[in-house]
Amino acid sequence: QSAQRSHELSPPPAEPATELSLHSLLDMGFTDTQAQQMYDTLSKITRRSAAKHALSTLTALLVLGLNPSTVLKLLEKCPELYTVKESQLQQRIGNLRKLGLGEGSLQRLVAYYPPLLTVPVKTVKHVVVFLREKCLFTIQQVTDILRDSPAIVVENLDHLEYKFQYVYFRMGVKQAEMVKSRLFRFTLDEVRHRHCFLERRGLYQTPDKKGQTTIINPKLDSVLSVDQDTFLAHVAMASSEEYDVFKRLMAREWQEEELRRGSIEAD
Amino acid sequence: EKWAVTRTKHPPTSLALQHFDATYSIQLGKLWPSVRVALLSERKYGALLNNFSHDAVLAGLEAQGCRDFTSDTDTEAQTSEVSTEEESSCVSMKKSGADGQQLPPLQLSPHIKCSVFPRADITRFKPARPDMCGLLGYYLMDAASVLPCLALGVQEGHNVLDLCAAPGGKTLALLQTQCIGFLCVNDSSVSRTLRLKKWGEIERDTFDRVLVDVPCTTDRHSLMEDDNNIFSKNRTGERRKLPQLQLELLLAGIEAACPGGEIVYSTCTLSQTQNLSVVEQAIYLAREKHGINLQVVDLRPLTRMFRKTFHFAPDLHLGEMVIPHLAANFGPIYMCKLRRLT
Ligand SMILES: C[S@@+](CC[C@H](N)C(=O)[O-])C[C@H]1O[C@@H](n2cnc3c(N)ncnc32)[C@H](O)[C@@H]1O
Repeated sequence: QSAQRSHELSPPPAEPATELSLHSLLDMGFTDTQAQQMYDTLSKITRRSAAKHALSTLTALLVLGLNPSTVLKLLEKCPELYTVKESQLQQRIGNLRKLGLGEGSLQRLVAYYPPLLTVPVKTVKHVVVFLREKCLFTIQQVTDILRDSPAIVVENLDHLEYKFQYVYFRMGVKQAEMVKSRLFRFTLDEVRHRHCFLERRGLYQTPDKKGQTTIINPKLDSVLSVDQDTFLAHVAMASSEEYDVFKRLMAREWQEEELRRGSIEAD
Repeated sequence: EKWAVTRTKHPPTSLALQHFDATYSIQLGKLWPSVRVALLSERKYGALLNNFSHDAVLAGLEAQGCRDFTSDTDTEAQTSEVSTEEESSCVSMKKSGADGQQLPPLQLSPHIKCSVFPRADITRFKPARPDMCGLLGYYLMDAASVLPCLALGVQEGHNVLDLCAAPGGKTLALLQTQCIGFLCVNDSSVSRTLRLKKWGEIERDTFDRVLVDVPCTTDRHSLMEDDNNIFSKNRTGERRKLPQLQLELLLAGIEAACPGGEIVYSTCTLSQTQNLSVVEQAIYLAREKHGINLQVVDLRPLTRMFRKTFHFAPDLHLGEMVIPHLAANFGPIYMCKLRRLT
């Protein structure tokens, strides 16, 4: 029932500081309609306690420099942000700043990927340590990765390691190029499909121990950062029918390989 | 560490790939990448229907979405006719080409049926199950391997020689015609002694139809399996001698055929040296050494009929070749048909 009450626009007298009022929203620069919308979103969060950080969250986002309509949009995409404690939110923002994300980029990043602020500082730190120590990215490269592919902070580290090793060893691509191509925006399957397709067509080779190949490999950037039609027309020089069949064949091959590996491990 | 696996330095499969990259990129040009990815990916099979089985096999396969490719012909190529079974047990086809030019008639062996899943469909066949008499309803093989058998054009009462028969896939297809008078099956792996010579000497001018399905570099196998691979270092000599052996076998086949008889030479390699060159030399040597004149039988009517199912290499000046393609991953199969004039 208490959740219902937040629907009424007057806060209960017990916790005046943490509750939102229409008045305070208008003060913050939201329009009438925006304020109403925000109330609707909040009323969907059924646990009253969950929404009690709404005010501090809003303040923090506005202080970051985001305008009210962006704030509204990102909170609709990610209402969990209402539930983050003020102190945690400040810690997380502080941590990202320390990682080199200056005002402008932090602002853009949060607007583009709001869940970034729902991830505990500890988790982000693990990812950073992983990128620095396991993958040997420089500090600047880690900043670039976070800026280009913030969703990396919620990825499973084992999967991440596999993807890195695949691209590093199997494709022979160095860290700088990985960053440039925004590798971590793509799923492992997307990377493998395109790479294996090129490899079987004879257009991509794993470098030998000295880093040499008998053909010139296309840059990772030109393989990944283009849509499928461009990839097929200019890099793979193949029809979409071929690529479509190939992806289905690969899915089956990998699935069977996994089953085989699973049954070997079970022995 | 996961990717830094220690591999044998030069497994036969990668030697084969190197060799093919070097030769086929020149021979096939722009087509090679597309053929290469198909060769390195899972192949498609066809189900050769067993006409001796009691089950309604074809209906069962059709219910799963298959179709018999031998009757699923290109409509454009079908314009003239396909004679019905009642009309004649052996199908005769008079085709006019797409360009309107009249092509000589081509006889296809009748009653050979082979089911395939449609283009771009990657469904696999289930293993065939025995019927009440223990006969299997179908035999899984490369659907393109059926083409040399169809091209042989076996007719009622023919004496047929299958010169390199083991393990017998094509023999089985030939038997489905049910109109062979006498079938002679040969393979060095069975006879051990070099039967080859005998065919020339004893069985001269005998057979109406001869299938010469020679040993070759078996391109698909050589890329996928390290076991029993002709590209292993210790088989280099054998591999180098293949074109010579192929030539001898084809000549033996030509000699075993009767005047007017027809010979189909086939391989499962893309190699020009093992395909066109062997046939060219055989034609030359047959005339020069044995006084046998041969005519090349145009197989274009066949490629026109079946182009819905297979990709054929464009513009071969001698014979026809199925080239693998991901959406129709059959072959490679090369075939060339010769007719003895003398
Ligand atoms: C491509 S396989 C034939 C496949 C068979 N026609 C089928 O469709 O199942 C070539 C065969 O030629 C045989 N062979 C090799 N040398 C031969 C020779 N000198 N005479 C006859 N057969 C030979 C091999 O034993 C091998 O079985």
